Amino acid sequence: MGQAYTPGLKVTNRVTHRCRRILPIKGEVLAKVGDQVEAEQVVARTFMPGDIEPLNLSNLLSMPPGDIIECMLKKEGDRIELDEPLAQTKGIFGLFKNTYKSKYAGVIETISGVTGQVIIRGEPIPVEVKAYLQGTVIEVVPDEGVVIEADVTFVQGIFGIGGETHGTIKMAAVSHEQELTADMITADMKGCIVVGGGRVWHEAITKAINVGAAAVVAGGIDDQDLKEILGYDLGVAITGTEKIGLTIVITEGFGDIAMAERSFNLLRHRQGDFAAVNGATQIRAGVMRPEIVIPLSEEEKAHEAESEHYSGLLEIGRPVRIIRDPYFGLIGEVAALPHEPTPLDSGSKARVLEVKLKSGESVVIPRANVEMIEA
Amino acid sequence: MKKIDPDKVNVILATDCGSTTTKAILIQKVDGAYRQTHRGEAPSTVEEPFADVTIGVQNSVTEVQELADWRLLDDDGRIIQPATETEGCDLYISTSSAGGGLQMMVAGVIAEMTAASAKRAALGAGAIVMDVIASNDKRRPHEQIQRIRELRPDMILISGGTDGGDTKHVVAIAELIAPAKPQPRFGGAYRMPVIYAGNHDAAPTIENAFDESVDLSIVANLRPVLERENLNPARDAIHDVFLEHVMAHAPGYNRLMEWTDAPIMPTPGAVGNILQTIAEDQGIHAVGVDIGGATTDVFSVFDGTFNRTVSANLGMSYSISNVCAEATLPNILRWVHFDMDERELRNRVKNKMIRPTTIPQSREALIFEQAVAREALRLAYQQHKEFATTLKGVQQQRSVGDTFSQETGGQTIVNNMKLNLLVASGGVLSHAPRMNQTAMLLIDAFQPEGFTTLAKDSIFMMPHLGVTAQVHPKAAMEVFDRDCLIYLGTCVAAKGHGKEGKPCFSYRIEGDTLNESGEIMYGEIKLLPLGLGETAMVTVEPTKMYDMGAGLGKRVKREVKGGTVGLVLDGRGRELRLPEDRATCQRTIKRWIEALDLYPETGSAGA
Amino acid sequence: MRPMSLLKHPFLLALTMGLLITGCSHAPEEEVALTEPTQPPTPANLKATDHPLDKGEKIDLTWDLTEADVELIDVFEIHKAITQVGDVMIEPSFELLEAVPAKDAFRTGGKRGGKFIVDALNRHLTARELKKLDETLAGSDTPFQVGKMVYDSDGEIWDDHPTSPISYVFKIIAVGRVPQPDGEGEADENAADLLLAATQRIEPLRAESAVTDPITPGIQLFDGRLGSLCVIVLIISLSVIYFIIAARSGKPLKIRKIAGLEAVDEAVGRATEMGRSCLFIPGILDMNDIQTIAAMTVLARVSKTAAEYDAKVEVPNCRSLVMTTARETVQAAFLAAGRPDAYNENLIYYVTDDQFGYVAYLQGMMVRDKPAACFYMGAFFAESLILAETGNSIGAIQVAGTAMPAQLPFFVAACDYTLIGEEFFAASAYLSGEPDQLGSLKGQDVGKVIVAIGLLVGAAVATVATITASPAAWDALNFILDKILA
Repeated sequence: MGQAYTPGLKVTNRVTHRCRRILPIKGEVLAKVGDQVEAEQVVARTFMPGDIEPLNLSNLLSMPPGDIIECMLKKEGDRIELDEPLAQTKGIFGLFKNTYKSKYAGVIETISGVTGQVIIRGEPIPVEVKAYLQGTVIEVVPDEGVVIEADVTFVQGIFGIGGETHGTIKMAAVSHEQELTADMITADMKGCIVVGGGRVWHEAITKAINVGAAAVVAGGIDDQDLKEILGYDLGVAITGTEKIGLTIVITEGFGDIAMAERSFNLLRHRQGDFAAVNGATQIRAGVMRPEIVIPLSEEEKAHEAESEHYSGLLEIGRPVRIIRDPYFGLIGEVAALPHEPTPLDSGSKARVLEVKLKSGESVVIPRANVEMIEA
Repeated sequence: MKKIDPDKVNVILATDCGSTTTKAILIQKVDGAYRQTHRGEAPSTVEEPFADVTIGVQNSVTEVQELADWRLLDDDGRIIQPATETEGCDLYISTSSAGGGLQMMVAGVIAEMTAASAKRAALGAGAIVMDVIASNDKRRPHEQIQRIRELRPDMILISGGTDGGDTKHVVAIAELIAPAKPQPRFGGAYRMPVIYAGNHDAAPTIENAFDESVDLSIVANLRPVLERENLNPARDAIHDVFLEHVMAHAPGYNRLMEWTDAPIMPTPGAVGNILQTIAEDQGIHAVGVDIGGATTDVFSVFDGTFNRTVSANLGMSYSISNVCAEATLPNILRWVHFDMDERELRNRVKNKMIRPTTIPQSREALIFEQAVAREALRLAYQQHKEFATTLKGVQQQRSVGDTFSQETGGQTIVNNMKLNLLVASGGVLSHAPRMNQTAMLLIDAFQPEGFTTLAKDSIFMMPHLGVTAQVHPKAAMEVFDRDCLIYLGTCVAAKGHGKEGKPCFSYRIEGDTLNESGEIMYGEIKLLPLGLGETAMVTVEPTKMYDMGAGLGKRVKREVKGGTVGLVLDGRGRELRLPEDRATCQRTIKRWIEALDLYPETGSAGA
Repeated sequence: MRPMSLLKHPFLLALTMGLLITGCSHAPEEEVALTEPTQPPTPANLKATDHPLDKGEKIDLTWDLTEADVELIDVFEIHKAITQVGDVMIEPSFELLEAVPAKDAFRTGGKRGGKFIVDALNRHLTARELKKLDETLAGSDTPFQVGKMVYDSDGEIWDDHPTSPISYVFKIIAVGRVPQPDGEGEADENAADLLLAATQRIEPLRAESAVTDPITPGIQLFDGRLGSLCVIVLIISLSVIYFIIAARSGKPLKIRKIAGLEAVDEAVGRATEMGRSCLFIPGILDMNDIQTIAAMTVLARVSKTAAEYDAKVEVPNCRSLVMTTARETVQAAFLAAGRPDAYNENLIYYVTDDQFGYVAYLQGMMVRDKPAACFYMGAFFAESLILAETGNSIGAIQVAGTAMPAQLPFFVAACDYTLIGEEFFAASAYLSGEPDQLGSLKGQDVGKVIVAIGLLVGAAVATVATITASPAAWDALNFILDKILA
């Protein structure tokens, strides 16, 4: 590749964030362009075709499938209620008739003379899409959904569990290195987004679930703790559908690792504000990272935006974080960018950079193993 | 597709549009033979913000034209065709696996019979099979419906029943799929393509079962009788649908399809194609493996039968955590010759999963990563063996002699003793710092028996050649032979078990550069130098407990190919057994590592 | 009216003693011979003890015997007499039991002296002994007991009563060696004949032992001869228990794959794919045959698979009871598969009790309906090949299972898979996969291994003994026959 592009996670105090809220299938859009929407507000709605229930009448009535059509008391498209007779056998000389009463309510979708199968479609399932982001509707996708925009403080995590939620931000830790333990979780955190510093312990999450916290944000988590929370070993990083009682956002990674100071300070600065959190992570084609989105209030919008020097390119002096052992989690500045591939301890040759760590030590790291951060 | 005169083709341009990178190679006629001369790479541009695959193609081709100093793109960014004395190419072809490749759902009556055949057809065509629906998959109909509704495949293949056989079950499946109204991935106005390749008697009923919301095509039954598979019509139909529907809805592919001289193939389908061509051409049994970040593909050709499997969650970055979960950490640590902290390793593995692009920096990290690769490959190969079987549901012919040796149908056709060529590709294999490591990974994971040539795909050129083989087999074969494969050497291994330190086999090697004889003990592995392009005559005589291809204790004489690694004489026995005891295991592994000089730098890590 | 006691009749005792002394002092007369016969030493210290762990039919006799004595003695004559039955004293009347070669007696005693085990002692008297007893008690009007019988004075059966112990006394007579003429080098055949004739005339010298104390063979709770069987039973039982416990605790027990049972899925699958039915024939014997019971186990599996695959299983029967059982089995299997609605009892029906009427029906039906899978499980006779060949001709996957040795070859040759004898009975453990059943299956295998080893060793020892005639080999063979096989 022509350039060394090392993407980092987005952590910014002010950005115009857009979010597409689209129905899985076509439906009705309830918001108009220009509307101010709240996080909980439904912006689009539709009905999914109901669940279908197959009934093998040929077996249920002990008759050849071909005779089913004649025996049906209802036609395709008819409505059937619970315990309503669905089909009746002819019997012998009109006697000994056998009737089947439906165990499901719905509409008869098909009647098959080949398999003797009757399919009943249940009630349509309503599907609603909420705004999630508190902001302004700037675009309506006809019959599908809306695009919402807002000026926000935006913190991206590396990995999350659980889906969309929202609440007010509450700091549990006092420093970006402090571990989040169970005794730091208090009853007044109900419905809040609890922010810890370093590693979050399993017990702390359990307690947060018990007090009814909306989400927990922390720097790191131990693999074993995650396994205990989920009840299984996570194999592939595609999350968002877990139902554990709250949403977890991990900003840095696995193990004992402190939250990046900048992320922590941003969150501390916005303590008490209303935020939306999504733990959904997908690390494959179409990368999705968990996020904490904090809409700016009117007076904050008036403040000057922080100067943006994010160029996406590695250059000397840029702050970077090392994201692979043996220096995992350490933060430093780019000290040198040698052009030629350099042999590593492992024996392979790769393009490297020299990082001056905060401790003053200087280490050589493959470029693939750092990510840029904003300090 | 336009008519091509193979003799007039001098310049071939091939691209492979992957999820992350688009790779282009240039094949030119040099001194009357086709050679791969230049290659270029650029990030793929299928997704936002570009959403046009051709941009990535143009970028990669631009790199090729700069390197080759041969103009390939005109001012409008179109590929110049045909070639003149100074510019352009005669043939432009492409494969694609962008957007997660071709994702399919297949259905059949019995999971081990028609549904397995349908799966084979789909995998052979290069698809990823998301799920197999069968009437005996132990799911209740409403669960099957739920599953069909959850999946968002690109297309559905339905088979079931022999010709003149079952209609009831196959119609029942169609009746489940029809009302479930599966949503295609690309949403919108796209009609779900459904291919029916089952009992022809049921075709009219199947047609009635589906309404206008699907695009049904009916092809010949892929299992006309249980004794025979007929997968080609179904495979061709999958390719057609792939082009007509899936590709047509992917951003920029319409333009790309206009450019190419042959239909765009799904990447894995192309790899399978070239492997099959090679195996047929040289009359060998071959296995190919491509280990990626998320998935591992295994291809095999045994006795002319091609099989492919995709192990969806065995990979080295996105899926690395899953490899650890499936193989278990103790199994992975078998291959590591020093102590490591398990808790830290688990966290490291998860960190690799969430930051998939990182590379191992230290020697320990590399050794651990290669240990994971061994297990991933082993599991993928095991899955492949379970899938690549003879047909099930076939009547057996018996004699009284079979009294005590009755074998069921559906035995695996993968036979490591017959295996001649093992080809590796994929990051962890082709980018290993030392070729010896690649060779050892292959030997440990696949455990070839007898004489097996090891090779790696130099720059993952097999997809390009696979699609080239369809239009210009000669060029594909020539390039495959000369430029595609880098021979690592040959593994000579004995099958069987004996006592540690007792003779396993004796060998005599006669070659231009290597003349040696000696004896290999059980538990020993030895590397002899035999360079690239060199060959030698090897005679081995196993002791009576071991088989090297001719039966227990029988002498075997073969010509072997050298390579960048050399000749590996493996007396560790097959199946490979590692000591249960951790300390003994570490010592054993250390001995093997030293014998093959795998990790020469003696850093701080040594045990 | 009580039987006489020996002690109360000093006369009888004196008589006995007298007889004994006479017997001892009575030395064989010497005759003129070519060579002098040897004088055997008098067997001293003769003791009779009850044989341990038997059912009351053996007495061990031991006496002093040295290796030097064996040189002088040819045989020991063992004599037995009854002295008392219940309370009735009887005048001992010795009879020769057996003549034991001196070296055998020495070997049995195992260097500690001579030994002989008196076997087959009756707890009931023989007719002759009874007659003798009658004579002894003639005129007495006292009823007496022998065994379970109570006799009145006329020797008639009077009533059943508990056993009365019989007491025996023993004596042995050592018979000296008679020198063998040196036949070697004797060229004159006539002279040899003369020599032989002369030798035969030689009377050996004899020496009689003292009479033992009276002894009654006792019954023990356990029969010592069956000790080895006890060990084998223990080994098998313990291994069964061990494997059951092991299986329960989750240890995987490797059971060899039985192709015929593995193939059930395949066969039923084939029927499903081809839209045909499965045919199950449970043999031609009734439910009291173990093979028919085993067949029901396999039927349960076949019908469960068929229920899962939604295939049709047809079971024509030639016994009404089997039909009823089959219906229950199939219904339970459909229920277990979660498809009770798909069960149709009309597919399990009775045809005829007549063997060939049944076969003719099956054949006709197979040719007409062409089932894609045929299962022959149970007891089969002449019809085995008729069925299997018909099934083969219609292209069905056929699985047979029988313990009829004569029919197995036919099934093996004509069917796709055959369960042979034991495999057929192991089916239920194999199919259920329950730890208890698997464990006992595995434990029984240990028993089979022991039997197989015993067979091999026994055959080898018998062969060696016959070929080499080595006494040690014969001893080993006798040991196996007497002690292990008892």
